Amino acid sequence: MAEVVRALRLYVLLQRASARGALQYRLNTAIGVLSGAIWQGTGFAFIWVVMHTFPSLAGWGLAEIAFLYGMRLTAHALAMIPMMSVHDIHWVVRNGEFDRFLLRPLNPLVQLMGNRMGLAQFGDLLVGVALLAVASQNAHVGWSPGLIAFCALAIVGGALIETAFLLALCSLSLRMIDTFALRVFLDDVFSKFGSYPMKIFGGVTEWLLTYVLPVAFVAYIPSSVVLGKLDTPWALAAPLLGVILVWPAYLIWRRQLTHYQSVGH
Amino acid sequence: MIRVEGLTKVFRRPRTFSGPFGALRTLVTRQYEERTAVDDVSFAIDEGEVVGYLGPNGAGKSTTIKILTGILTPTAGTVRVNGMVPWRDRSANARRVGVVFGQRSQLWWDLPLIESLRLVGSLYDVPAARFDASLRKLRDLLGLDEFLDTPVRQLSLGQRMRGDLAAAVLYEPPLLYLDEPTVGLDVLAKEAVREFIVETNRTGRTTVILTTHDLADVEALCKRIILIDHGKVLFDGAIDALVDQPRRLVVLLESAPEEVRGVSRDDEGRHVFDIHGDLPALIAAISAEHTIRDLSIEEPDLESVIKGIYAR
Repeated sequence: MAEVVRALRLYVLLQRASARGALQYRLNTAIGVLSGAIWQGTGFAFIWVVMHTFPSLAGWGLAEIAFLYGMRLTAHALAMIPMMSVHDIHWVVRNGEFDRFLLRPLNPLVQLMGNRMGLAQFGDLLVGVALLAVASQNAHVGWSPGLIAFCALAIVGGALIETAFLLALCSLSLRMIDTFALRVFLDDVFSKFGSYPMKIFGGVTEWLLTYVLPVAFVAYIPSSVVLGKLDTPWALAAPLLGVILVWPAYLIWRRQLTHYQSVGH
Repeated sequence: MIRVEGLTKVFRRPRTFSGPFGALRTLVTRQYEERTAVDDVSFAIDEGEVVGYLGPNGAGKSTTIKILTGILTPTAGTVRVNGMVPWRDRSANARRVGVVFGQRSQLWWDLPLIESLRLVGSLYDVPAARFDASLRKLRDLLGLDEFLDTPVRQLSLGQRMRGDLAAAVLYEPPLLYLDEPTVGLDVLAKEAVREFIVETNRTGRTTVILTTHDLADVEALCKRIILIDHGKVLFDGAIDALVDQPRRLVVLLESAPEEVRGVSRDDEGRHVFDIHGDLPALIAAISAEHTIRDLSIEEPDLESVIKGIYAR
């Protein structure tokens, strides 16, 4: 426990240092946040245009889809803000910077995560939270303390699901395996399929996205619960999946770490 | 302090193909190329020693250092550093060793040096009082004051190296790995680095493992060297024993005879005599028979001895 507290304290320290470093390039940071927000905003604008023609998709109205979209985006931002340098691990592996994380008395993963924050993803977070707030008003969500707690936990759980898949995939980069294509694929599946009611894809796709790559658990299932479209008791356990998946992902990371080859012998 | 037995590291990577569909074949191949970087290396190093770990480029020096520091996991063999297995007890091992890679800084690129040092202090749980004392000492010893507040990216190579050395000894580790700490430095900066290493070793009884291509470093710092090439140890012992050869007298004679006093003429037309005992008498004896055009005395030097070993 003391070790966890120490790791957290040092993580904050490292992250503050990296932010101080990054903020020296103020304009770059500001543009990053802004472009993140615009990028995600256009994603939703597309839905808005589609919904102009079809007032409902698989029984979901615009406000409801906006809620789903906002939930997915918020979870995504919460995953990427701390995980950005894991996402970009190939850089630190290729230029040998990863070596230094192995030379210091702190979990290398914590040091890697503390290397750089996903500052641009604060733009995602902004859009995500705004969408959630506006959409829950328009969709007439009957908020109760229990439902708010469920929603918050589901967002964290959703972030953890994305974190788990990202971590497992990126740990392959420790063996100098290029995971760029797979990472883009993962990003795409989570954002393109995770942001819409799963039903519109139907059949096999829906099944795959629920049981194989459980994108449905990030936002579709939890938002169905919040919007009163789903009230099976097992759906309430959706936030747990992220917690369950993170552990094996971490074990894969640990395993790949022993295969780390460094550069330039 | 360090005990290495039968250390072997084999790097394995998929075979790369060239020619038509080469990239595709590289992607799907199950053939691997193996390269043995370190091959059955054994040695032991005691507390307080300064050991030069030498070898040409690609000999396996850095790979050995990376295994000793816990960055790489070896293919075979056992390693104990301070009684620990470096790649298994990585954190505990890290607290007791300092590492400097001359080719690559471990400081925070965008932050002033002092902030990097503070972060290192925090990562190694150095209490504030000890940190201040340590920093005061290092500021004097390495002359850090003039660039303590400069971002690391703006430091000269010599300053950066001094910063890296400070970061490596800030938490007073009993063992120091220095991988080419003088690479690319000018004469004065090299001198400063050497003085610092001598001082650290003398006052703290710090054990130092040093890799370098500058043999002046070795002569100034090490009593013992370990020579490796192609991953194998070629020599392990005192430098004195290695260069324990007589001085030599080199003469160029007017008449350039085939042979003088049992020594035949070399390719450059010179005669080379080993000096045993009375040098003036030797010179007198030669000049009695021949006219000496030029004459010089060669000390046995490390470079030629080491070249000789590599060439074997």
